[in-house]
Amino acid sequence: MSIAYLGLESVRQLKNVRSLVFTFAIPLVMLLLFGGIYGANGAVDKVTGLPWIVVTTVQMAGYGGMMAALGQAFTIVTERSLGWNRQLRLTPLSGMGYLLSKVVAALAVALLAIVALIIVSVVVFHSSLPFGSWAMAALGLWLGVIPFAFIALLIGQFAKPQFAQPLFMVIFFGMAILGGLWVPLSVLPSWMTNIAQVVPSYWLNRLGQMGANLSGDVLEPMLVLLAWTVGLGAVIVWRYRRDAARQ
Amino acid sequence: MNTTRAIEAPAIQLRGLRKTFGSITAVAGIDLTIQQGEVVALLGPNGAGKSTTIDLALGLASPTAGTATLFGEAPRTAIAAGRVGAMLQGGALLPDLTVAQAVALIAAAHKHPLSVAEALERAKCTEIAKQRVSKLSGGQAQRARFAVAIVSNPDLMFLDEPTAAMDVEARRTFWQSMREFTDAGRTVVFATHYLDEADAYADRIVMMAAGRVVADGTPGEVKAVVSGRRIRASFDFDWTPDIEAELAELPGVRSVEHRGDVLSLVSDDSDAALRTLLSLHQDVHDIEVTAHSMDDAFLALTAAADAAPSARASLPSAGPSSPSVEPVETGPAHNSALIGDRS
Repeated sequence: MSIAYLGLESVRQLKNVRSLVFTFAIPLVMLLLFGGIYGANGAVDKVTGLPWIVVTTVQMAGYGGMMAALGQAFTIVTERSLGWNRQLRLTPLSGMGYLLSKVVAALAVALLAIVALIIVSVVVFHSSLPFGSWAMAALGLWLGVIPFAFIALLIGQFAKPQFAQPLFMVIFFGMAILGGLWVPLSVLPSWMTNIAQVVPSYWLNRLGQMGANLSGDVLEPMLVLLAWTVGLGAVIVWRYRRDAARQ
Repeated sequence: MNTTRAIEAPAIQLRGLRKTFGSITAVAGIDLTIQQGEVVALLGPNGAGKSTTIDLALGLASPTAGTATLFGEAPRTAIAAGRVGAMLQGGALLPDLTVAQAVALIAAAHKHPLSVAEALERAKCTEIAKQRVSKLSGGQAQRARFAVAIVSNPDLMFLDEPTAAMDVEARRTFWQSMREFTDAGRTVVFATHYLDEADAYADRIVMMAAGRVVADGTPGEVKAVVSGRRIRASFDFDWTPDIEAELAELPGVRSVEHRGDVLSLVSDDSDAALRTLLSLHQDVHDIEVTAHSMDDAFLALTAAADAAPSARASLPSAGPSSPSVEPVETGPAHNSALIGDRS
């Protein structure tokens, strides 16, 4: 596995302005909107004990990170349809190496999204939190993004170009709503809150909140996210082997 | 051939290679050995199985039966070592990159690549280095893909119809950089359906039709099959075996056919054949002389491959005409349809 390739591939994706605008614009607008509505008066969320503006920032940073990671699905689908991965198969890069490069790129773009949104929040709303808390919040969110990078690989492996968009939308909106990334779960019906306990986006958000709080039981979110990661990883490897055997 | 890991292992060795997609047979049994330093044209019409054969040789597809080795090793091993480059059909570059970026990205995946500048230079891409791939003309795009293919500094290069989208000038430039590449003793296999291209740049032509090798020899040998002219004429006499034998004896005649009252001759010396024909048969009319096209040659060779092996007598064969165009499970004869002796 070539580190040089991983680096160059990540930088390439970070420079891809078009998809980055898409990744940042929506959560940024929502942050500015909701931040202004809920957060400006310094109110505190009773459930988490965090200021509303922090809760909103974590939500939107998680949303941005998730979107950045899931966006890799399009990269993979496009590259497959162009035949670029055929070109890559003429290099020492293995098929698994290719998938790994996409996970690394997903995490790189996600980290950028998370950090950028937190910075905007600090600058615009002066949301006050010690640096360490923000750093832990960002780290929590970043770890929580890993299963989404894997979901992106899976969409990339399975979807034909014309189905990638709708599939992405369904997964994306489902995850955003159920995970409480758009609106706090407390305003949703309780049955939805129950479902939320098993989706990775919920725990992505929770990990971010725990990081911001510098407290909380991280074992449960870690286990749920690990289960998702292992499960998705197993399907990806299975699919990869089947593809390889079919050629 | 038991020398699997010798230093002079063949660049490419295909044995009993078959590939079927459902009920379609793309490659119907190919045995082919290409030594290091050879420049080989894979010549054949669309659907002959050229691209599939290249995919199998590169390990991009796995064969239904048979084996492919590059430098005596599994294709993947040779590729991982950076010894193999290829320009394949449907292997486009990412449109949002510049040419230099595309080359750099592929170079980063290789272990001991050339510098990006050198790869661009060798592929005559220096002026288009900063252009986006999406803005390139067909010929420029092919050159960019050639730069990507040589960045690993390979010993063996596969080119699948490399000049398909090129105009005359672009073609000339492309083959010039190709010459520089092969002058260093490297092996090149290129698929094409242009005989002139095969003739000008290859020192060996492997002709394929319907998933098989139907001819294999030097350009001179293969051209002899393809050259010649076809004389077509209507006749009023009765067609008899005697007349057929007599026509076959006309100067340079290689094949004689008739359908209804139209006869058709293929001759290497059509002028002399026609003069003799007219002196022997006054009642021949509506004469038409046409260049014997590549298509004719393919059809003739394919028909020969399908029919009994003896039908291959139509080739001007001096070498050991091993009748091994049938499926290869039959034996170890590894050079099917050899025109010249290459073993």
